[in-house]
Amino acid sequence: MIYIFLTAIVIIILVLIIIYNNLIQKKNAIDNAYFSMDVMLKKRYDLIPQLVETVRGYMTHEKDVLMKLTELRQKVIVENLNTNDKVELDNKINAVLQNVFASFENYPQLKASENFLKLQGAINEAEEQLAASRRFYNAAVNDYHNGIEMFPSSLVASWMRLKNKTFFSIANEHSQVPAFKF
Amino acid sequence: MQAGKDFNEFYNSELRGLIAPQEKERKRVAVFGIFGAILVILSVAGFFYATSSNIQGVAIGAFVSLIAAVIMLVIFYNKRKNYVSWFKENIVHSIIKYIDPELQYNPAGCVHKNDYKNSGLYLEHTDRYRGDDYVEGRRDKTTFCFSEIHTQKKVTSGKSTHWETIFKGLFFIGDFNKNFQGRTFIYSENNPQLGFFSKLFNSFAWNLEKVKLESIEFESKFIVYSSDQVEARYILTPSFMERLVKLQDLMGDRTSYSFVDTNVYVAIPISDELFEPSVFSENDYNRLGDYYNTVQIVFEIIDELNLNLRIWNKE
Repeated sequence: MIYIFLTAIVIIILVLIIIYNNLIQKKNAIDNAYFSMDVMLKKRYDLIPQLVETVRGYMTHEKDVLMKLTELRQKVIVENLNTNDKVELDNKINAVLQNVFASFENYPQLKASENFLKLQGAINEAEEQLAASRRFYNAAVNDYHNGIEMFPSSLVASWMRLKNKTFFSIANEHSQVPAFKF
Repeated sequence: MQAGKDFNEFYNSELRGLIAPQEKERKRVAVFGIFGAILVILSVAGFFYATSSNIQGVAIGAFVSLIAAVIMLVIFYNKRKNYVSWFKENIVHSIIKYIDPELQYNPAGCVHKNDYKNSGLYLEHTDRYRGDDYVEGRRDKTTFCFSEIHTQKKVTSGKSTHWETIFKGLFFIGDFNKNFQGRTFIYSENNPQLGFFSKLFNSFAWNLEKVKLESIEFESKFIVYSSDQVEARYILTPSFMERLVKLQDLMGDRTSYSFVDTNVYVAIPISDELFEPSVFSENDYNRLGDYYNTVQIVFEIIDELNLNLRIWNKE
Protein backbone atom coordinates (compact mmCIF):
# COMPACT_ATOMS: atom_id res chain seq x y z
CA MET A 1 0.00 0.00 0.00
CA ILE A 2 2.80 2.37 0.96
CA TYR A 3 4.50 1.67 -2.39
CA ILE A 4 1.37 2.60 -4.32
CA PHE A 5 1.13 5.79 -2.31
CA LEU A 6 4.81 6.62 -2.91
CA THR A 7 4.50 5.84 -6.64
CA ALA A 8 1.47 8.14 -6.86
CA ILE A 9 3.40 10.90 -5.09
CA VAL A 10 6.37 10.49 -7.45
CA ILE A 11 4.06 10.58 -10.51
CA ILE A 12 2.31 13.70 -9.21
CA ILE A 13 5.66 15.42 -8.56
CA LEU A 14 6.87 14.48 -12.05
CA VAL A 15 3.68 15.82 -13.64
CA LEU A 16 4.02 19.06 -11.66
CA ILE A 17 7.64 19.44 -12.80
CA ILE A 18 6.64 18.88 -16.42
CA ILE A 19 3.79 21.41 -16.16
CA TYR A 20 6.07 23.90 -14.39
CA ASN A 21 8.77 23.57 -17.05
CA ASN A 22 6.23 23.80 -19.81
CA LEU A 23 4.83 27.05 -18.41
CA ILE A 24 8.34 28.48 -18.01
CA GLN A 25 9.04 27.50 -21.61
CA LYS A 26 5.89 29.31 -22.80
CA LYS A 27 6.78 32.37 -20.72
CA ASN A 28 10.29 32.42 -22.17
CA ALA A 29 8.89 32.00 -25.67
CA ILE A 30 7.03 35.30 -25.13
CA ASP A 31 10.25 37.00 -24.03
CA ASN A 32 12.01 35.60 -27.04
CA ALA A 33 9.23 36.75 -29.37
CA TYR A 34 9.18 40.13 -27.67
CA PHE A 35 12.93 40.50 -28.15
CA SER A 36 12.72 39.82 -31.90
CA MET A 37 9.78 42.24 -32.11
CA ASP A 38 11.66 44.87 -30.15
CA VAL A 39 14.37 44.85 -32.83
CA MET A 40 11.74 45.49 -35.48
CA LEU A 41 10.09 48.17 -33.36
CA LYS A 42 13.39 50.04 -32.98
CA LYS A 43 13.80 49.90 -36.75
CA ARG A 44 10.36 51.44 -37.11
CA TYR A 45 10.94 54.11 -34.44
CA ASP A 46 14.11 55.11 -36.31
CA LEU A 47 12.07 55.65 -39.45
CA ILE A 48 9.35 57.81 -37.81
CA PRO A 49 11.44 61.05 -37.55
CA GLN A 50 12.47 60.66 -41.19
CA LEU A 51 8.85 60.11 -42.16
CA VAL A 52 7.67 63.17 -40.23
CA GLU A 53 10.47 65.28 -41.70
CA THR A 54 9.70 64.18 -45.26
CA VAL A 55 5.93 64.65 -45.14
CA ARG A 56 5.76 67.75 -42.90
CA GLY A 57 6.05 70.17 -45.83
CA TYR A 58 3.26 68.49 -47.77
CA MET A 59 0.78 67.40 -45.10
CA THR A 60 -0.21 70.83 -43.85
CA HIS A 61 -3.61 69.68 -42.52
CA GLU A 62 -2.21 66.80 -40.47
CA LYS A 63 0.23 68.74 -38.29
CA ASP A 64 -1.49 67.63 -35.08
CA VAL A 65 -1.36 63.99 -36.09
CA LEU A 66 2.34 64.25 -36.95
CA MET A 67 3.05 65.99 -33.64
CA LYS A 68 1.22 63.26 -31.75
CA LEU A 69 3.22 60.65 -33.61
CA THR A 70 6.49 62.37 -32.63
CA GLU A 71 5.39 62.60 -28.99
CA LEU A 72 4.43 58.95 -28.80
CA ARG A 73 7.68 57.91 -30.42
CA GLN A 74 9.65 60.06 -27.95
CA LYS A 75 7.75 58.53 -25.05
CA VAL A 76 8.34 54.95 -26.14
CA ILE A 77 12.10 55.36 -26.66
CA VAL A 78 12.88 57.57 -23.66
CA GLU A 79 10.72 56.11 -20.90
CA ASN A 80 11.66 52.83 -19.33
CA LEU A 81 8.41 50.95 -19.88
CA ASN A 82 7.43 47.43 -18.97
CA THR A 83 6.31 45.02 -21.67
CA ASN A 84 2.56 45.59 -21.27
CA ASP A 85 2.90 49.41 -21.28
CA LYS A 86 5.16 49.23 -24.29
CA VAL A 87 2.65 47.04 -26.13
CA GLU A 88 -0.16 49.49 -25.36
CA LEU A 89 1.89 52.48 -26.43
CA ASP A 90 2.88 50.79 -29.65
CA ASN A 91 -0.76 49.98 -30.33
CA LYS A 92 -1.42 53.74 -30.09
CA ILE A 93 1.50 54.54 -32.42
CA ASN A 94 0.14 51.98 -34.81
CA ALA A 95 -3.30 53.62 -34.84
CA VAL A 96 -1.79 57.07 -35.51
CA LEU A 97 0.41 55.68 -38.27
CA GLN A 98 -2.67 54.21 -39.95
CA ASN A 99 -4.14 57.72 -40.08
CA VAL A 100 -0.93 59.13 -41.54
CA PHE A 101 -0.73 56.37 -44.15
CA ALA A 102 -4.37 56.85 -45.08
CA SER A 103 -3.74 60.59 -45.58
CA PHE A 104 -0.97 60.01 -48.15
CA GLU A 105 -3.65 59.44 -50.76
CA ASN A 106 -4.70 63.09 -50.49
CA TYR A 107 -1.24 64.37 -51.45
CA PRO A 108 -0.32 63.44 -55.03
CA GLN A 109 2.78 65.66 -54.93
CA LEU A 110 4.05 63.72 -51.94
CA LYS A 111 3.59 60.45 -53.76
CA ALA A 112 5.68 61.81 -56.65
CA SER A 113 8.64 62.71 -54.43
CA GLU A 114 11.59 60.35 -54.87
CA ASN A 115 12.71 60.73 -51.26
CA PHE A 116 9.25 59.83 -50.08
CA LEU A 117 9.10 56.79 -52.36
CA LYS A 118 12.41 55.49 -50.99
CA LEU A 119 11.23 56.07 -47.45
CA GLN A 120 7.94 54.43 -48.30
CA GLY A 121 9.83 51.32 -49.47
CA ALA A 122 11.81 51.19 -46.21
CA ILE A 123 8.65 51.70 -44.13
CA ASN A 124 6.81 49.01 -46.07
CA GLU A 125 9.65 46.59 -45.38
CA ALA A 126 9.79 47.51 -41.70
CA GLU A 127 6.00 47.28 -41.35
CA GLU A 128 5.92 43.85 -43.01
CA GLN A 129 8.63 42.55 -40.69
CA LEU A 130 6.98 44.14 -37.71
CA ALA A 131 3.61 42.63 -38.58
CA ALA A 132 5.29 39.22 -38.82
CA SER A 133 7.04 39.59 -35.46
CA ARG A 134 3.79 40.81 -33.85
CA ARG A 135 1.98 37.77 -35.14
CA PHE A 136 4.73 35.57 -33.70
CA TYR A 137 4.48 37.42 -30.39
CA ASN A 138 0.70 37.02 -30.35
CA ALA A 139 1.01 33.31 -31.18
CA ALA A 140 3.39 32.93 -28.21
CA VAL A 141 0.98 34.89 -25.94
CA ASN A 142 -1.93 32.76 -27.11
CA ASP A 143 0.01 29.58 -26.38
CA TYR A 144 0.94 30.95 -22.95
CA HIS A 145 -2.68 31.88 -22.18
CA ASN A 146 -3.78 28.36 -23.10
CA GLY A 147 -1.18 27.08 -20.66
CA ILE A 148 -2.19 29.25 -17.72
CA GLU A 149 -5.95 28.92 -18.27
CA MET A 150 -6.33 25.23 -19.03
CA PHE A 151 -6.73 22.62 -16.28
CA PRO A 152 -4.56 21.28 -14.61
CA SER A 153 -1.75 23.65 -15.65
CA SER A 154 -3.95 26.57 -14.48
CA LEU A 155 -3.43 25.38 -10.86
CA VAL A 156 0.35 25.47 -11.23
CA ALA A 157 0.11 28.82 -13.07
CA SER A 158 -1.88 30.41 -10.23
CA TRP A 159 0.68 29.08 -7.71
CA MET A 160 3.42 30.59 -9.91
CA ARG A 161 1.37 33.83 -10.03
CA LEU A 162 1.50 33.94 -13.81
CA LYS A 163 -0.70 36.64 -15.28
CA ASN A 164 -2.22 37.27 -18.69
CA LYS A 165 -0.13 39.21 -21.18
CA THR A 166 -1.36 41.90 -23.55
CA PHE A 167 -1.82 41.07 -27.21
CA PHE A 168 -0.44 43.39 -29.86
CA SER A 169 -3.17 44.76 -32.06
CA ILE A 170 -2.64 43.71 -35.65
CA ALA A 171 -3.91 46.14 -38.21
CA ASN A 172 -5.62 44.99 -41.35
CA GLU A 173 -2.85 44.05 -43.74
CA HIS A 174 -4.34 45.97 -46.63
CA SER A 175 -4.90 49.18 -44.74
CA GLN A 176 -1.58 49.01 -42.95
CA VAL A 177 0.61 49.72 -45.90
CA PRO A 178 -0.59 51.90 -48.74
CA ALA A 179 -0.26 49.97 -51.96
CA PHE A 180 2.27 51.96 -53.92
CA LYS A 181 3.41 50.28 -57.05
CA PHE A 182 6.82 51.32 -58.30
CA MET B 1 -9.67 24.75 -67.18
CA GLN B 2 -10.73 25.75 -70.70
CA ALA B 3 -8.19 27.34 -73.01
CA GLY B 4 -9.43 30.79 -73.98
CA LYS B 5 -10.94 32.14 -77.16
CA ASP B 6 -7.58 33.56 -78.30
CA PHE B 7 -6.03 30.13 -78.09
CA ASN B 8 -8.90 28.77 -80.20
CA GLU B 9 -8.03 31.27 -82.94
CA PHE B 10 -4.33 30.45 -82.66
CA TYR B 11 -5.11 26.74 -82.91
CA ASN B 12 -7.21 27.21 -86.04
CA SER B 13 -4.87 29.64 -87.74
CA GLU B 14 -1.49 28.01 -86.96
CA LEU B 15 -1.41 24.76 -85.01
CA ARG B 16 -3.97 22.91 -87.09
CA GLY B 17 -1.94 23.67 -90.22
CA LEU B 18 1.25 22.37 -88.59
CA ILE B 19 -0.27 19.17 -87.24
CA ALA B 20 -2.31 18.12 -90.29
CA PRO B 21 0.64 17.12 -92.56
CA GLN B 22 2.11 15.01 -89.74
CA GLU B 23 -1.12 13.11 -89.06
CA LYS B 24 -0.24 10.49 -91.69
CA GLU B 25 3.13 9.94 -90.04
CA ARG B 26 1.54 9.68 -86.60
CA LYS B 27 -0.89 7.03 -87.88
CA ARG B 28 1.99 5.14 -89.52
CA VAL B 29 3.87 5.13 -86.20
CA ALA B 30 0.75 3.90 -84.43
CA VAL B 31 0.38 1.05 -86.96
CA PHE B 32 3.93 -0.17 -86.21
CA GLY B 33 3.11 -0.12 -82.51
CA ILE B 34 -0.19 -1.94 -82.87
CA PHE B 35 1.24 -4.60 -85.25
CA GLY B 36 4.26 -5.07 -83.01
CA ALA B 37 1.98 -5.69 -80.01
CA ILE B 38 -0.23 -8.09 -81.99
CA LEU B 39 2.82 -10.04 -83.16
CA VAL B 40 4.11 -10.31 -79.58
CA ILE B 41 0.75 -11.75 -78.48
CA LEU B 42 0.69 -14.14 -81.44
CA SER B 43 4.22 -15.38 -80.81
CA VAL B 44 3.58 -15.92 -77.08
CA ALA B 45 0.33 -17.79 -77.88
CA GLY B 46 2.20 -19.77 -80.60
CA PHE B 47 4.95 -20.80 -78.17
CA PHE B 48 2.38 -22.00 -75.64
CA TYR B 49 0.48 -23.92 -78.28
CA ALA B 50 3.70 -25.42 -79.71
CA THR B 51 4.81 -26.59 -76.24
CA SER B 52 1.48 -28.27 -75.49
CA SER B 53 0.85 -29.74 -79.01
CA ASN B 54 4.49 -30.40 -79.95
CA ILE B 55 3.96 -29.17 -83.53
CA GLN B 56 7.27 -27.91 -84.88
CA GLY B 57 5.70 -25.71 -87.59
CA VAL B 58 3.84 -23.67 -84.98
CA ALA B 59 7.04 -23.15 -82.99
CA ILE B 60 8.86 -21.91 -86.11
CA GLY B 61 5.91 -19.61 -86.91
CA ALA B 62 5.96 -18.25 -83.36
CA PHE B 63 9.70 -17.65 -83.58
CA VAL B 64 9.37 -15.79 -86.90
CA SER B 65 6.49 -13.83 -85.45
CA LEU B 66 8.67 -12.87 -82.46
CA ILE B 67 11.49 -11.64 -84.71
CA ALA B 68 8.99 -9.63 -86.76
CA ALA B 69 7.55 -8.20 -83.51
CA VAL B 70 10.99 -7.11 -82.33
CA ILE B 71 11.70 -5.43 -85.69
CA MET B 72 8.29 -3.73 -85.63
CA LEU B 73 8.77 -2.48 -82.08
CA VAL B 74 12.28 -1.18 -82.78
CA ILE B 75 10.93 0.73 -85.78
CA PHE B 76 8.01 1.92 -83.64
CA TYR B 77 10.36 3.12 -80.90
CA ASN B 78 12.56 5.08 -83.32
CA LYS B 79 9.67 6.53 -85.29
CA ARG B 80 7.83 7.50 -82.11
CA LYS B 81 10.96 9.19 -80.80
CA ASN B 82 11.24 11.19 -84.03
CA TYR B 83 7.56 12.11 -83.96
CA VAL B 84 7.68 13.23 -80.30
CA SER B 85 10.82 15.23 -81.03
CA TRP B 86 9.18 16.91 -84.05
CA PHE B 87 6.03 17.57 -82.02
CA LYS B 88 7.88 19.23 -79.15
CA GLU B 89 10.13 21.32 -81.37
CA ASN B 90 7.26 22.56 -83.49
CA ILE B 91 3.92 22.35 -81.72
CA VAL B 92 4.88 22.78 -78.05
CA HIS B 93 7.49 25.37 -78.99
CA SER B 94 4.85 27.34 -80.96
CA ILE B 95 2.40 27.21 -78.03
CA ILE B 96 5.04 28.48 -75.61
CA LYS B 97 6.15 31.24 -77.98
CA TYR B 98 2.50 32.16 -78.51
CA ILE B 99 2.04 32.62 -74.76
CA ASP B 100 5.19 34.72 -74.47
CA PRO B 101 7.76 35.12 -77.28
CA GLU B 102 10.48 35.74 -74.66
CA LEU B 103 10.11 32.31 -73.06
CA GLN B 104 12.90 29.81 -73.74
CA TYR B 105 11.94 26.19 -74.26
CA ASN B 106 14.30 23.24 -74.21
CA PRO B 107 12.47 19.91 -74.77
CA ALA B 108 15.41 17.84 -73.51
CA GLY B 109 16.43 20.04 -70.57
CA CYS B 110 15.13 20.03 -67.01
CA VAL B 111 15.51 21.85 -63.70
CA HIS B 112 18.98 21.14 -62.35
CA LYS B 113 19.31 18.39 -59.76
CA ASN B 114 21.02 20.82 -57.36
CA ASP B 115 18.01 23.17 -57.50
CA TYR B 116 15.70 20.26 -56.81
CA LYS B 117 17.86 19.26 -53.84
CA ASN B 118 18.24 22.84 -52.66
CA SER B 119 14.47 23.24 -52.51
CA GLY B 120 14.53 20.84 -49.56
CA LEU B 121 11.09 19.56 -50.46
CA TYR B 122 12.27 16.01 -51.09
CA LEU B 123 15.22 14.91 -49.02
CA GLU B 124 15.10 11.21 -49.77
CA HIS B 125 18.14 9.87 -51.58
CA THR B 126 17.51 9.97 -55.32
CA ASP B 127 18.86 7.10 -57.39
CA ARG B 128 17.32 8.19 -60.67
CA TYR B 129 16.74 11.79 -61.71
CA ARG B 130 15.05 12.48 -65.01
CA GLY B 131 13.16 15.34 -66.53
CA ASP B 132 12.35 17.21 -69.71
CA ASP B 133 10.42 20.16 -71.13
CA TYR B 134 12.40 22.93 -69.50
CA VAL B 135 10.93 26.42 -69.78
CA GLU B 136 12.54 29.57 -68.46
CA GLY B 137 11.68 33.22 -68.73
CA ARG B 138 10.60 36.34 -67.00
CA ARG B 139 7.13 37.57 -66.21
CA ASP B 140 7.30 41.26 -65.47
CA LYS B 141 9.87 41.41 -62.62
CA THR B 142 9.87 37.73 -61.79
CA THR B 143 12.40 35.36 -63.33
CA PHE B 144 11.29 31.76 -63.26
CA CYS B 145 11.86 28.31 -64.70
CA PHE B 146 10.03 25.03 -64.59
CA SER B 147 10.16 21.57 -66.06
CA GLU B 148 8.82 18.11 -65.60
CA ILE B 149 10.82 16.07 -63.12
CA HIS B 150 10.64 12.42 -62.20
CA THR B 151 12.79 11.26 -59.29
CA GLN B 152 12.96 7.69 -58.08
CA LYS B 153 14.74 5.60 -55.50
CA LYS B 154 15.80 1.98 -55.76
CA VAL B 155 14.09 -0.23 -53.23
CA THR B 156 15.53 -3.67 -52.61
CA SER B 157 13.53 -6.23 -50.70
CA GLY B 158 15.13 -9.67 -50.59
CA LYS B 159 16.26 -10.52 -54.10
CA SER B 160 13.86 -8.27 -55.92
CA THR B 161 14.41 -4.58 -56.58
CA HIS B 162 11.97 -2.03 -57.85
CA TRP B 163 11.86 1.70 -58.49
CA GLU B 164 9.76 3.86 -56.23
CA THR B 165 8.72 7.34 -57.30
CA ILE B 166 9.69 10.17 -54.97
CA PHE B 167 8.32 12.99 -57.08
CA LYS B 168 6.77 13.15 -60.51
CA GLY B 169 5.29 16.33 -61.84
CA LEU B 170 5.91 19.96 -62.53
CA PHE B 171 8.69 21.65 -60.60
CA PHE B 172 8.70 25.46 -60.56
CA ILE B 173 11.33 27.90 -59.30
CA GLY B 174 10.56 31.62 -59.07
CA ASP B 175 12.41 34.60 -57.73
CA PHE B 176 10.49 35.60 -54.56
CA ASN B 177 9.52 39.22 -54.00
CA LYS B 178 10.95 39.50 -50.49
CA ASN B 179 14.41 38.95 -49.05
CA PHE B 180 14.82 36.28 -46.42
CA GLN B 181 17.67 34.35 -44.83
CA GLY B 182 16.10 31.17 -43.47
CA ARG B 183 14.15 28.26 -44.86
CA THR B 184 10.41 27.86 -44.78
CA PHE B 185 8.55 24.79 -46.01
CA ILE B 186 4.86 24.42 -46.69
CA TYR B 187 3.85 20.80 -47.01
CA SER B 188 0.46 19.83 -48.23
CA GLU B 189 -1.53 17.75 -45.73
CA ASN B 190 -2.64 15.47 -48.58
CA ASN B 191 0.71 14.75 -50.17
CA PRO B 192 1.55 11.09 -49.71
CA GLN B 193 4.98 11.72 -51.29
CA LEU B 194 5.98 13.60 -48.19
CA GLY B 195 5.86 10.98 -45.50
CA PHE B 196 6.06 11.53 -41.79
CA PHE B 197 9.74 10.53 -41.66
CA SER B 198 10.65 12.88 -44.48
CA LYS B 199 9.11 15.77 -42.56
CA LEU B 200 10.75 14.63 -39.35
CA PHE B 201 14.14 14.30 -41.04
CA ASN B 202 13.69 17.74 -42.59
CA SER B 203 13.00 19.31 -39.24
CA PHE B 204 16.13 17.78 -37.69
CA ALA B 205 18.36 18.39 -40.69
CA TRP B 206 17.67 22.11 -40.88
CA ASN B 207 16.69 22.86 -37.32
CA LEU B 208 13.13 23.57 -38.28
CA GLU B 209 10.21 24.33 -36.02
CA LYS B 210 6.57 23.84 -36.73
CA VAL B 211 4.84 27.17 -37.35
CA LYS B 212 1.28 27.51 -36.10
CA LEU B 213 -0.60 30.13 -38.09
CA GLU B 214 -3.87 31.96 -37.51
CA SER B 215 -5.82 30.92 -40.60
CA ILE B 216 -7.91 27.84 -39.81
CA GLU B 217 -8.50 27.09 -43.50
CA PHE B 218 -4.79 27.33 -44.26
CA GLU B 219 -3.89 25.17 -41.27
CA SER B 220 -6.32 22.49 -42.42
CA LYS B 221 -4.57 22.25 -45.81
CA PHE B 222 -0.90 22.78 -45.01
CA ILE B 223 1.79 22.08 -42.44
CA VAL B 224 4.46 24.77 -42.15
CA TYR B 225 8.01 24.30 -40.88
CA SER B 226 10.55 27.07 -40.72
CA SER B 227 14.00 27.86 -39.40
CA ASP B 228 12.70 31.27 -38.30
CA GLN B 229 9.26 31.82 -36.79
CA VAL B 230 9.19 35.55 -37.59
CA GLU B 231 10.45 35.10 -41.12
CA ALA B 232 7.82 32.43 -41.82
CA ARG B 233 5.15 34.97 -40.89
CA TYR B 234 6.94 37.64 -42.92
CA ILE B 235 6.51 35.38 -45.96
CA LEU B 236 3.11 34.02 -45.01
CA THR B 237 1.08 37.17 -44.54
CA PRO B 238 -2.68 36.64 -44.05
CA SER B 239 -3.42 37.54 -47.68
CA PHE B 240 -0.58 35.31 -48.92
CA MET B 241 -2.09 32.41 -47.00
CA GLU B 242 -5.45 33.11 -48.64
CA ARG B 243 -3.81 33.07 -52.06
CA LEU B 244 -2.08 29.76 -51.33
CA VAL B 245 -5.41 28.22 -50.37
CA LYS B 246 -6.88 29.51 -53.64
CA LEU B 247 -3.94 28.15 -55.64
CA GLN B 248 -4.33 24.78 -53.94
CA ASP B 249 -7.87 24.61 -55.27
CA LEU B 250 -6.54 25.29 -58.76
CA MET B 251 -3.54 22.97 -58.77
CA GLY B 252 -4.77 20.06 -56.72
CA ASP B 253 -4.36 19.47 -53.04
CA ARG B 254 -0.91 17.86 -53.13
CA THR B 255 1.17 20.90 -54.06
CA SER B 256 4.05 21.81 -51.76
CA TYR B 257 6.13 24.97 -51.49
CA SER B 258 9.47 25.96 -50.08
CA PHE B 259 11.14 29.32 -49.61
CA VAL B 260 14.91 28.97 -49.74
CA ASP B 261 17.67 31.38 -50.86
CA THR B 262 15.10 34.06 -51.76
CA ASN B 263 13.43 31.69 -54.22
CA VAL B 264 10.04 30.06 -54.08
CA TYR B 265 9.97 26.41 -55.12
CA VAL B 266 6.66 24.80 -56.06
CA ALA B 267 6.26 21.05 -56.56
CA ILE B 268 3.03 20.04 -58.27
CA PRO B 269 2.61 16.26 -58.52
CA ILE B 270 1.16 15.30 -61.92
CA SER B 271 0.72 11.69 -63.00
CA ASP B 272 0.59 12.42 -66.78
CA GLU B 273 3.64 13.26 -68.84
CA LEU B 274 4.01 16.98 -69.45
CA PHE B 275 3.81 18.12 -73.12
CA GLU B 276 3.96 14.49 -74.30
CA PRO B 277 1.94 13.79 -77.50
CA SER B 278 0.16 10.53 -78.12
CA VAL B 279 0.80 8.56 -81.29
CA PHE B 280 -2.30 6.41 -80.83
CA SER B 281 -4.84 9.21 -80.79
CA GLU B 282 -5.15 12.55 -82.46
CA ASN B 283 -3.39 15.46 -80.75
CA ASP B 284 -6.44 17.62 -81.01
CA TYR B 285 -7.56 20.98 -79.68
CA ASN B 286 -8.32 19.64 -76.21
CA ARG B 287 -4.89 18.11 -75.73
CA LEU B 288 -3.06 21.18 -76.99
CA GLY B 289 -5.36 23.31 -74.85
CA ASP B 290 -4.10 21.33 -71.84
CA TYR B 291 -0.49 22.21 -72.73
CA TYR B 292 -1.48 25.85 -73.01
CA ASN B 293 -3.22 25.66 -69.63
CA THR B 294 -0.16 24.10 -67.99
CA VAL B 295 1.94 27.16 -68.84
CA GLN B 296 -0.94 29.39 -67.78
CA ILE B 297 -0.96 27.66 -64.37
CA VAL B 298 2.66 28.70 -63.90
CA PHE B 299 1.67 32.27 -64.71
CA GLU B 300 -1.19 31.91 -62.24
CA ILE B 301 1.36 30.96 -59.56
CA ILE B 302 3.32 34.15 -60.27
CA ASP B 303 0.22 36.33 -60.44
CA GLU B 304 -1.63 34.77 -57.51
CA LEU B 305 1.38 34.91 -55.25
CA ASN B 306 1.89 38.55 -56.28
CA LEU B 307 5.53 37.83 -57.03
CA ASN B 308 5.65 40.92 -59.23
CA LEU B 309 4.59 43.25 -56.45
CA ARG B 310 8.01 44.35 -55.27
CA ILE B 311 7.25 47.25 -52.99
CA TRP B 312 9.95 46.05 -50.61
CA ASN B 313 13.69 46.30 -51.04
CA LYS B 314 13.87 43.63 -53.71
CA GLU B 315 13.52 45.44 -56.98
